[in-house]
Amino acid sequence: MNLKIFKVSIVILFVFLLTMSSVAATCNIIVITDPSGKDPNGAAAGSMSFADNMFQSTFMMSKVNHFAVLSGGSGSSDTRLDSVIEAVASLSNNASAASAASIASNYQGARLITGGPSIGAAVGGSFDAYVITVNDASHEIKVTPYSSGVATLQPGEKGAIIHLRNTNGNPLYGTADSVRKDTAMNIGKMIRDGYPATTILSEAMGQVANQSGEKYGGGGVNLVSGISTDDMFTPKEMNETGYPMDEEYSKVCDDCGWAMGYPAAEAHDKCPVCGANIKTVYAFEALGDALTVSSNAVSVSAYGSDKPGLAETTTEVVEAAVAKYGYDSSAIANSINRAINNGLLMGVDHVEPKDINVKQGSKAVGVYYNALPGDRSSPSWDLPIDGNILNILGSIQTAVGIILILLVVFRSRLLKSFQNR
Amino acid sequence: MFIKIRRDTLIILLLAFILILCGRLITYVAFASSDEINDGIPISGIIIKGNDIVPVDTIRYNVMQAGFRDGSVIYGDILKTSKREVSLQDAIRSAQEFATRSTVPGTSVEPISTADVQVDKNTGVVTVTVIEDFSSVELKNKTSGGTG
Repeated sequence: MNLKIFKVSIVILFVFLLTMSSVAATCNIIVITDPSGKDPNGAAAGSMSFADNMFQSTFMMSKVNHFAVLSGGSGSSDTRLDSVIEAVASLSNNASAASAASIASNYQGARLITGGPSIGAAVGGSFDAYVITVNDASHEIKVTPYSSGVATLQPGEKGAIIHLRNTNGNPLYGTADSVRKDTAMNIGKMIRDGYPATTILSEAMGQVANQSGEKYGGGGVNLVSGISTDDMFTPKEMNETGYPMDEEYSKVCDDCGWAMGYPAAEAHDKCPVCGANIKTVYAFEALGDALTVSSNAVSVSAYGSDKPGLAETTTEVVEAAVAKYGYDSSAIANSINRAINNGLLMGVDHVEPKDINVKQGSKAVGVYYNALPGDRSSPSWDLPIDGNILNILGSIQTAVGIILILLVVFRSRLLKSFQNR
Repeated sequence: MFIKIRRDTLIILLLAFILILCGRLITYVAFASSDEINDGIPISGIIIKGNDIVPVDTIRYNVMQAGFRDGSVIYGDILKTSKREVSLQDAIRSAQEFATRSTVPGTSVEPISTADVQVDKNTGVVTVTVIEDFSSVELKNKTSGGTG
């Protein structure tokens, strides 16, 4: 009898160890604070891990259909990728978040978290997650643990899903359970207090990185505005870790706008431009800053020329014009033309109001430039005289001037030769 | 004074100087006011439409590899790049092929099923329209394991 119990316990221990060793990686978080999709920062998602290879495929986003697919798990990278592609394909065909997340269970060891502002969110496959829901009317926070099947955050509900496990080799191994719970509670409180999803994501990722060591990016996405951190924090090479989210990312001067990234920024204690105190920005804060859209921001796109700096300067000029005159295409065209005349914008021709595409509803302005031919830096002048005539005139003048100099240099000799005649 | 120069010599020199200066100025004005193009149409930019999950930069980089990059010039039906001269049609065909080879960053997934490349011969703008289709993606099964 004793022997039997011993055997059973051995088997249980063996199974336990087996599952332990296949437990891997990844903290995945998705936060939805505005299911209506009106708040530009109302939905965000992100992934990070202690493990290698947290490339952009672990936090994919559709800018058009506003959904994200976060992935992870212990399967091979190929099966994980297969499941991600299948989930993206089904979400593009208007599948529900839950049915897309359930795809993960068809793949060995994979996990998928899917969601968007309008479709809610769901987690499926192999996971240890908390689903957080916040009731709008009663401000009641509900935090429910799930670890099998498919756990969902219903469409239209405010809430979040956080999955967290520790990776083997992580010095903080074993902290995942408590950190997951703490972070889930904090996310719930922040949703209740009305913080935007991007801020909540950044804070939650900071907490997880600090306390559980699953800290290498990864990255995040803003689902409503379609912004991704792209390669800000992802690894540079295969089989490397990304940027640690709990470490310093850059130093910024609030007074004059000077900024410098680590490790070069380490040498600076004061702003080298204006001497003011500088603020250290940690990687998780940089993630929040990158994803958060300020409510009066204008999204500006410049087309027709890839000249360096053109898009950035255009954004500045258009933002100023919109702040001053509102969404008026002729006022914006005027401002851009003034900038071209001032030499602020180089290498493009003047624009007309019809070249400015204004969408006031989505706060977007598109500017269609015509690049100037050759190495020209500014548009051609409008003169009443033909350019060819001026060209000939200029050449003649130059020639006459040079002849005059020659005459002066050989003056005495010329005079003498005339006198001799 | 080291050299003896008569005052009228100096005046003539000054006059010559002013003449040359004005001459060069007028030549510059002539250049600035002419808008004739006699040395081909340079590629001025790439516009990418229709992509969703594949980043614009990935597609742009691939299209640039086909020759449509800064510094390339269109002479009629010929595209002259910094490396070689190719016919515009060939360049467009290879740009379309290269665009479909764009991957999701960090993976070998190529979700772009078709790409259409249009080149405006008057402005030098390259417009790339792509269609992403994740349901038709095929993955070659490699046996490498790994966690993520």
